[in-house]
Amino acid sequence: MVTVWDYLPYILEGVWWTLGLVAGGLALGFIIGLPLSIGQVYGHRILKLIVEIYAWFFRSVPLLVLLFLFYWGIFPATGYKLDPLTCSILVLGFRSGGYQSQIFRGAIQSIGEGQYIAARTLGMSKLQGIYHIILPQALRIAFPGWVNEYAIILKDSAICFVLGVMEILTRTRYVVMATLEPLLPYFIAGGLFIALTYGGTKLVNMVYEKTKIPGLIGRM
Amino acid sequence: MSDDIVLKVEDLHKNYGNVTVLKGVSFEVRRGETKIICGPSGSGKSTLLRCLNLITRPDKGRIWLEREEITNRNININKVRQKIGFVFQEFNLFNHLTALRNVSVGLEVVKKMNKDEARKIALEMLKKVGLEEHAHKYPAELSGGQKQRVAIARALAMNPAIIFYDEPTSALDPQLIGEVLEVMKALAREKVTSIVVTHEMGFALSVGDEMLFMYDGKIIERGIPQEVIQNPRCEEARRFFQRINELYVGKRR
Repeated sequence: MVTVWDYLPYILEGVWWTLGLVAGGLALGFIIGLPLSIGQVYGHRILKLIVEIYAWFFRSVPLLVLLFLFYWGIFPATGYKLDPLTCSILVLGFRSGGYQSQIFRGAIQSIGEGQYIAARTLGMSKLQGIYHIILPQALRIAFPGWVNEYAIILKDSAICFVLGVMEILTRTRYVVMATLEPLLPYFIAGGLFIALTYGGTKLVNMVYEKTKIPGLIGRM
Repeated sequence: MSDDIVLKVEDLHKNYGNVTVLKGVSFEVRRGETKIICGPSGSGKSTLLRCLNLITRPDKGRIWLEREEITNRNININKVRQKIGFVFQEFNLFNHLTALRNVSVGLEVVKKMNKDEARKIALEMLKKVGLEEHAHKYPAELSGGQKQRVAIARALAMNPAIIFYDEPTSALDPQLIGEVLEVMKALAREKVTSIVVTHEMGFALSVGDEMLFMYDGKIIERGIPQEVIQNPRCEEARRFFQRINELYVGKRR
C-alpha cells in the first residue's frame, strides 16, 4: 500500500517552487518598492500621490482577489496569457512592492534631512546624495522590516495554490486526495513552512550582522 | 568687482509664507577674511547662510561667488556648492562612513578623484584637525568635538573658496567647544576665508575681521568685533551683547 511517506519527495519538490515564488516576488517587490520609496520622499507632489495610491491599492486588496483579478482579468484583457507561476510571481511582486515601498520610506525618513543636505553642500546632485549617502544607510535600517517581508511573502505564497502553481500546498493537497489522509500531509506542509521561515530569517540575519555599522542600528 | 572679493551679497530677501526672514541683506567678504555674524535667534542668520549656497532659494537679491553670479538660474548649482564649505551645528556626518571616508567621499563622488588620491588628501585634512589616528572610526564612535572637526576636514578637503560655519559649537558640551574653536582659529590665521555664525565672543574678538549684527532680518550694525561687542551703537545690539556677556561669564564660572 502506498503511504504518505512515499509521497514525501513529491511534496519536497514543492519547496523549490515555493522558493521560486518568494525569490521572484521579493526581488520584483524590491525593484518596484525602492524607487517608489525614493519617489515618495524626494519626488514631486504628483509622484508622491501616485506612489501612495499604488501602495494603498496593493495593500488593501486581498491577495486572493489580486491573483484572480490579474490571472483571469487584467492579463487576458491586455492580451497576455501568462502561466500560473509567472502570474503568481508578478502579483506577489506588485503587492510586495507596495509593502516594501513603505518599509524603505520609513527607513529613509528615519535618517533625517541633515545628511542629505550635507551631501548637497559638498556639491553632490540629488541622485548622488541619495545613492551614496541615503541608500546605504536606509537599506541597512530597513533590513529587519525586509526580513519580516520575507516571512510574510513566504506564507502568502501558499495562496498561489488556487492557480495550480506546483508549490508546497498544491502538492500536499494532491497527496491528501490520493491517500485520503489529511493529517500527516498538512503537518508536513506546515513543518516545511516553519523550516523555511526559520532558515531564511537566520540566513538574512547573518548577512545583516556582517553589514552592521557601529551606531547605525536597525532593530531586529 | 575686484579679485579681492570672494563673496558679494546684494539686497537679499527671503519669505516663508507670511513670515519675512530676510529683509534686504548686503555685504562683501574679502579673500582671507573671517566674517562673524551674530544676533538673537530668529534674526535670520541660519537662513542667510542657507540662501548663500542656495540650499534655500532667496526670493530676491543677487549673490556673486568669485565674480560669478550664482543667483543666475542658468548656473550649475552643484559646481558652485563645491566651492562653498559648510559646517553645520549638528555636524551632519555620514553615519555609515568612517571619518576618513566622510572626508574623501566628496572628492571621489563630486570631484571624480581616484580612491588613493582622495584618501591621501582626506588623511592630510584629518591630520590638520588633529584626528588622523581616528580616521578609521565611525561617527558614532567619536565625541561631539571630534565629529565637528571631521566635518571641518570634510569641508576643507574640497578646497573651497569660502567656508560657512553655522553655529558650529552650539551643539557641543562646554568642555568640547575649545578643541573646535582652536581648529577654526588656526584656519582663520591661515587666511581661510570664512563666514562664522557664532555666539563665541572670544573667538570673534581673537580672529574676526568684521562683525555683522543681525536683527529682524537685517544687518543693523557692523564693524570690527571689538567695537561692535564693547561699544554697540544701537539698543538691540547693546541688549544682545549684555545677555551674551552674562551667559558667557556665568558659563565659565
